[in-house]
Amino acid sequence: MGPGDQVLSIGDLTAAARTVLEGSLGTVWVRGEVVQCKVHGSGHWYFTLRDAAAQARCAMWRTYSQRAGRPPADGTEVFAQGRPTLYEAKGEFQFVVYRLLPTAGIGDQQRALERVKAALEQDGLFAAARKRLLPRYPSRVAVVTSPDGAALHDIVTVAGSRWPAADILVVASRVQGDGAARELVAALKLVNRLKVDLCIVGRGGGGREDLAAFNDEAVCRALAAVRVPTVSAVGHETDVTFADLVADVRAPTPSAAAELAFPDARAVRRLVGDLGARLAGGLSRRTRLAAERLERTGDRLEGALEETLARRRHLADRLAAQLDALSPLRVLERGYAVPRADGRVLRRRADFPSGRSFSLRVADGDVPARAD
Amino acid sequence: MTIPPTGKPAALADELARLEEIVRRLEADDLDLDAALALFEQGVACLRSARERLAAAEVRVRTVLADANGTLRLGEIDG
Repeated sequence: MGPGDQVLSIGDLTAAARTVLEGSLGTVWVRGEVVQCKVHGSGHWYFTLRDAAAQARCAMWRTYSQRAGRPPADGTEVFAQGRPTLYEAKGEFQFVVYRLLPTAGIGDQQRALERVKAALEQDGLFAAARKRLLPRYPSRVAVVTSPDGAALHDIVTVAGSRWPAADILVVASRVQGDGAARELVAALKLVNRLKVDLCIVGRGGGGREDLAAFNDEAVCRALAAVRVPTVSAVGHETDVTFADLVADVRAPTPSAAAELAFPDARAVRRLVGDLGARLAGGLSRRTRLAAERLERTGDRLEGALEETLARRRHLADRLAAQLDALSPLRVLERGYAVPRADGRVLRRRADFPSGRSFSLRVADGDVPARAD
Repeated sequence: MTIPPTGKPAALADELARLEEIVRRLEADDLDLDAALALFEQGVACLRSARERLAAAEVRVRTVLADANGTLRLGEIDG
């Protein structure tokens, strides 16, 4: 049998092989030993993974190798996540690697995490019932974070735009790397010695970084022991740490934490305005009632008081509009007078038996008076 | 040791809570005029101080420093 019309080009062949390879397995994890990792000038890594039975050429593109830290030394045992493919130009089978994790410690780490989680869970530290509400108007807030990290900057910026009254106390701590957990525990304990209304624990966002300190049991327990409500802002949408679960509120980013922690001053100003109007309205109603009561007994009062009564409606209505200028003395200045005797207000007919002495409180003092 | 609050008297939260309470009582019907006037006067004071507090200032950012003996002090930093 001759070649006939069935001849494929090499390109057709490798392309077909590549399609088969890529369609077969998809993304998988493999385990092997790294051999000869070469870092190309472009930042891509090329190495071989092998085990007792076989080996495979691997490539790790710069996007991924950048996140993987240092190139693995020869002989490092790793878990590698990737996809099999075919490098067509060379007709070579290739495993394209996305993630590379040294096996050493991974199992231990996983077990340690599970142990911590179980311990915290058993002590109820994740329980919804122990979540506290955040204060509505915090005047002082502790922020546990790295003093030169992006998290602090973001929190201060948001606080400035929402809540100018914010008073922020920064309790500095490393948030990743060696000693971070120990420093976080000390910082959280220190927060309990401060007079604050709220505590934010934060770190900057960014790529995949070391979150280990926020999964540390001692850190989680110290966070749970903070006496004021806590907000975690560990800065990862996807990886939830145990600290996030222990905090009263979890924020996806430091900025979001600040938005949760600090009220919007504009809304609060509106609230204050409303309360002011109600205050004025409340007094105006009270004084109107009082004036009406006086009026009912007014025919027996002296001229000064009657004159006062004639003006009362005016006054009551104007009260609401002029809140800030108002105080009880101003009310009197506008012509109100309050009859009093023996330290109490006289408001009923029966309080004015004929011949009774009483005093009329007017703006600048008391006027002695007597019922007819 | 606890760091005492610096400079600011009652917190805004307390101020607003008091103001709300005063308004509630003033709106209730069982007050005599004396009490209403007294409440109103307190309310105006609260209101004034709440407004001042809201108008106040810039965010204040300080660091908490602990020395070897565990004594705390506050250091200003540029926010």
